[in-house]
Order: sequence, then structure tokens, then C-alpha cells
Amino acid sequence: MSPDVLAGIAQASGFLVLLTTALGVFIGLTVGMIPGMTISTGIIILLPVTFVLPADISIALLLGLYVGGMTGGSFSAVLLNIPGTPSASATALDGYPMSARGEAGRALGIAITASFIGGMVSFLCLLFIAPLLADVALSFRTEDMFALVFFGITIICSFAAQSLVKGLLSGVIGLAIVTIGQDPVMGSQRFTFGQVNLIGGIHFLTAMIGLFAIPQLVSNLADTTSAARIQTKLKSVLPRLADLRAIRMPITIGSLTGAFLGILPGAGGPIAAFISYDYTRRISKRREDFGKGAVEGVAAPESANNAVTGGALIPMMTLGIPGDPVTAILIGALIIHGLAPGPLMFTERGDFAFGLIFSFFWANIFNFIIALTALRVLVKLLATPRALLMPTVAVLCVIGAFALRNNFFDVYVMLFFGLVGLAMRWLDMPVVPLLLALVLGVPLEENLRVALTSSQGDISIFFSSPISVAFLSLSALSIIWSLRAARRRRMSAQSSSKESSS
Amino acid sequence: MRRRNIIAALVLLAFGAGYGILTTQLPVRSLPDTPGPPFFPWINTIAILALSATLLVQGLMEKVGADGPVPAPAAGRQRAIWALAVFVVYLAVLPGLGFILATAPFFAALMVLFGETRPLRVVLGALIATGILYLLFRHGFNVFLPTGVLKGIVP
Repeated sequence: MSPDVLAGIAQASGFLVLLTTALGVFIGLTVGMIPGMTISTGIIILLPVTFVLPADISIALLLGLYVGGMTGGSFSAVLLNIPGTPSASATALDGYPMSARGEAGRALGIAITASFIGGMVSFLCLLFIAPLLADVALSFRTEDMFALVFFGITIICSFAAQSLVKGLLSGVIGLAIVTIGQDPVMGSQRFTFGQVNLIGGIHFLTAMIGLFAIPQLVSNLADTTSAARIQTKLKSVLPRLADLRAIRMPITIGSLTGAFLGILPGAGGPIAAFISYDYTRRISKRREDFGKGAVEGVAAPESANNAVTGGALIPMMTLGIPGDPVTAILIGALIIHGLAPGPLMFTERGDFAFGLIFSFFWANIFNFIIALTALRVLVKLLATPRALLMPTVAVLCVIGAFALRNNFFDVYVMLFFGLVGLAMRWLDMPVVPLLLALVLGVPLEENLRVALTSSQGDISIFFSSPISVAFLSLSALSIIWSLRAARRRRMSAQSSSKESSS
Repeated sequence: MRRRNIIAALVLLAFGAGYGILTTQLPVRSLPDTPGPPFFPWINTIAILALSATLLVQGLMEKVGADGPVPAPAAGRQRAIWALAVFVVYLAVLPGLGFILATAPFFAALMVLFGETRPLRVVLGALIATGILYLLFRHGFNVFLPTGVLKGIVP
């Protein structure tokens, strides 16, 4: 075993790190299951704390929250038919019918077990694939890096839920925002209007707090429906032997689908959950039971959405490419501590990289233990009054933005982005492309300009390397796929409006 | 949605045009045949203008009264507007008043907006939460939250 792996195990297994991982899982389970709170909101709450904690403890806390949040989302999906996170939407399809017929404990036990196995499969993928991918990525030249980041940017298309144009616009606005501040190649100032605070640019975590938390708070205020009360009493949550046998195949499908789709930037938990649910239903002998409370229908999506977490960490750690908003925030948290994710992380800070991987391992272990043992306590937290929770989130947003650089300017920037987020929501424009552009904008510009400078402006440099060509081809495929998906959506919308008018 | 798309397209066209004008004023300090500081902003300008124009065309071609997202109920919208107003006032007075004096009424106002009507709970909740958050971040995590007019009085 390499010294870095041993150092990583030691780092992740320190008492304080373990304690923080467990705390992160607990907070994640809580945040994940409260409707109206997302994993991103949970991370925003913890951000100010992570600025002041050591890097290993901060990342353990955030990873715990990431893993716990995925499982927590299923609790409210099963008990209330309200998915706590988008990734738990598929779980509600069979979880809630089980709960409605008095089998909430059984459904939750299956969800927790499936989440654990999915998480562990993705841990193994992370442990074995990430170092290999980082090794390959070390040989990337500037033009390859540009092509890779460009491929990451095309993820934007997959987040353009309703309109590809709006998704792309959101991304381009993000790319325009990253040009504020110092030029990454020559250091000259751009769009700073003489403001000292703008020389360092807009910190993407400040923007992210505003873009995600403020619209979420406002939408919770606008939502007049009162929080549902849980009618179900939980019986045993330990899965039965017969159930464990029944969910072997769904968990295998879910775990592998989730881990694979997690590696692909942009696919994310909800897609993995629905694909594995659908595939499990297709091959099941009891297809007609799906949607009416089939245990397989709970196990497949739950294993898939937790398997996504480890998969998504692979491109984040090895290439510095975030696959979803949570990994984008994790990149920000690492950068705050002077640790830039990317291939060099494994060579320069291999101990930390493996520490992160093993913290993910512990997060899954704690997730299983805490979810099973503290389920009854956690479910009671579903009744936490929003009147206390939401103002706390609002104040934590302010503290988070302020604590970044002890500067009120960042707080005002956060509010500005909050208003931008609200406007985007009103226009039905997705904010995730903007966030991804804020993360990837600087490396995109830097690699593009350095590559063009080295070739004296000759763009054929991007077609001179097989790696670059491969990533550019993947980008083209990603765009074509998104265009086709957009066309299909438009046609189905047209046909449904024709049907309704006839 | 048609009206919203047209408004968005026009606003973004104006934004793109403004961004383009500012780009023309950027310093051009570069070697021949190599991209300088305005290179990337120009790409963005073209993309914003082209995509905004596409959105405008799409908006104009949409049927009048085409479906959009379901708007929030009027009461909810009003509460949301109040919350935003309270937020803006809070951020305006926070540096001067300090964290404790500004946060407690802000917290109480949000509690009321989120449906808490019992005065004692509002007052106690706001004071206790503000106190805990201040102590936790100021002394637990060394975040220099402003003390404002209470400088020298609160630790």
C-alpha cells in the first residue's frame, strides 16, 4: 500500500475527523429530509464554519453532509410523498405507497440499506479509478485541458430543463461574470470600475449562496401549504431476509448505474435514480407491482442516487470538473484551503486526496449507522418549525458571505446574486449553468488563451492532439444530444397541446 | 411565458450591448497574433447577443397566452416581497448597528413572515437564535462579526 494511501487512512480516521464526518452525516440526513431544504442549502449553512476549520475536517463535514443528504431525501419521499431532494423523486414512487399501507419502516430500512451499498460501490470506484484517471490527466497539455474544460461547460446543455437557449444564456452570463477582476493570463484589470473589491473578481461561493439560498427562502415563503404531518408510526426498520434477497439485483443495477452516471458530469442523482428504476421495472417479473409499493422500486433508485456521490467525486478530484452543484461547492471549499482539485492533487497532496476518499468511506459507514439507529429522532425533526429554520438559514447566508473575506462587499454581492436568482426563476431560466460557468470560466479562458498564444493564434492546435480531439468530439455529441432532447420536448409539448385543444 | 421571454431577451440584449461597449475599452496589451485581455469578453459578447436575439425570436413566435410556470398565490408573493424588503434594510443597517442589534429584529420579522404569530415565541426565538449565532461564530469560529454600536459592551 502506498504511503499516500496510508496517510489518507490516518487522516480520515482521526478522532476529530471521524466526529465531524458523523456530524456532517447527521446534518445531511436532517437537511435532506426537510422539504424545501436541499443538499446545496445544507452546505451553504455549513460554509462559514468550513472557512475556519482545517481542510481535512471541513471536507469531512461537507462529504458527510453530501452522503447523508442523499439518503435523507428519501425519508420525506417515503413518509410524506415529498422528495427532500430531487434525487429522491423516484424513491417516492414506491416508497410512499409502502408507507401508506403501514410499511414505512420497511421502506426506510430498504432505502437505508440500498443507499449504503450504493455508496460503498461508488467508494470502490473512487478509490480505484480516481488515481488512474489523475495519472492520465497529468499528461494533458494546455489544448487538452481547454478541450476537457469545454466538455465540462457543455454540461450546461443538460441542465437546460425547458429551453436550451435559456440554459446557454445562463452559462454565458456566468462566463461574462468571471471576466470581472484580474485577467488570468496578463493580470490586467477588467470591468472593475475602479472598485478595489472587484480586483479579485466575484467569489463564486458568494454568488452561489445568493443564487441558491435566497430564491429558496423566497419560494418557501410563497408556498402557503402547511407542512404535512406524519401519520405513520415506524415499526422495525431492519430489512427482512426475504427483502434483502429481493433487492439484490435492483441494488446491483442501481449501484453500477449511479457510479457510472456520477462520473459523467451533468447526469446527476435524479437521472441515475430514474434510469435504474425504469430498468429494474423492465426486467422485473413483478412489473405490475411497481408504483404500488414494490421493494425493488425503492432499492434501485436509492442505491443509484447514493452511488452517484462517489462517481461525481471522480471528475471533481482528478480533473477539477464539477458534475453537479454540490461538487462545484466542494471545489470552492477546497480552493479556500489552498487545495486546487485536479490531477496534481494526487501527486502534490496525495495524502489529502486519499484522506478525502477515505472520509467518503466513513461518511457511508456513519450514514448507515446513524440512519438506522437515529431514524425515529430524525423523523421527529421533520416537524421543525419553518419559522425558526428559515430565518436561521437567512442569517447563516449573511454570515457565510461575510466570513469569506470579512468584507461587507461580499454580502451585498450575495444579495445581488439572490435577486438575479429570483429573476432567473421568474424567467424559468436554470441557475446551475451559471454556477458551473463561474467554476469553469477561468480555466476555460486561461487554457484557451495560453494554447492560442503558444500556437500564435492557430486554432488547429486543438485538433493536433488525440485527447483534445476526443474531448471536443464528446462536447459535440453532448450538444447534439441536448439539441435532440430539446426538440423531443418541444414536439411532445406541441402534441399534448394539440390533444388538449381537440 | 411569452411576455417574460421577450422582456428577458430585451434586457439581455441591452446587457450584451453594454458588456460589448465596456469590452472595447479594455486595454489591448498583447503580442501580435495572440489573444489579449478583450479576447474572451468578445466571445461572450457575441454569444450573449446571438442567444438573446434567438430568445427574442422564440418569444415573438410563441402563442399569446402560452403556459408558463404557475405563479405563487398573492398572499405568498406579498410575504416574499416583504421578506426581500426586510433583507435589504437588514443589510443596510448591519455594518452600523452591529450583528446583534440588526439581526434580532430581522430574525423576528422573518419568523412572523414565516407564520409565527405568538409574540413571546417570536421575541425569545429571535433573541436566543441571534445570541447563539453570535457566540458560535464570533468566539467559536473567530469570524469578526461587527459589534457596531455595542462595541465595548458585548464581548
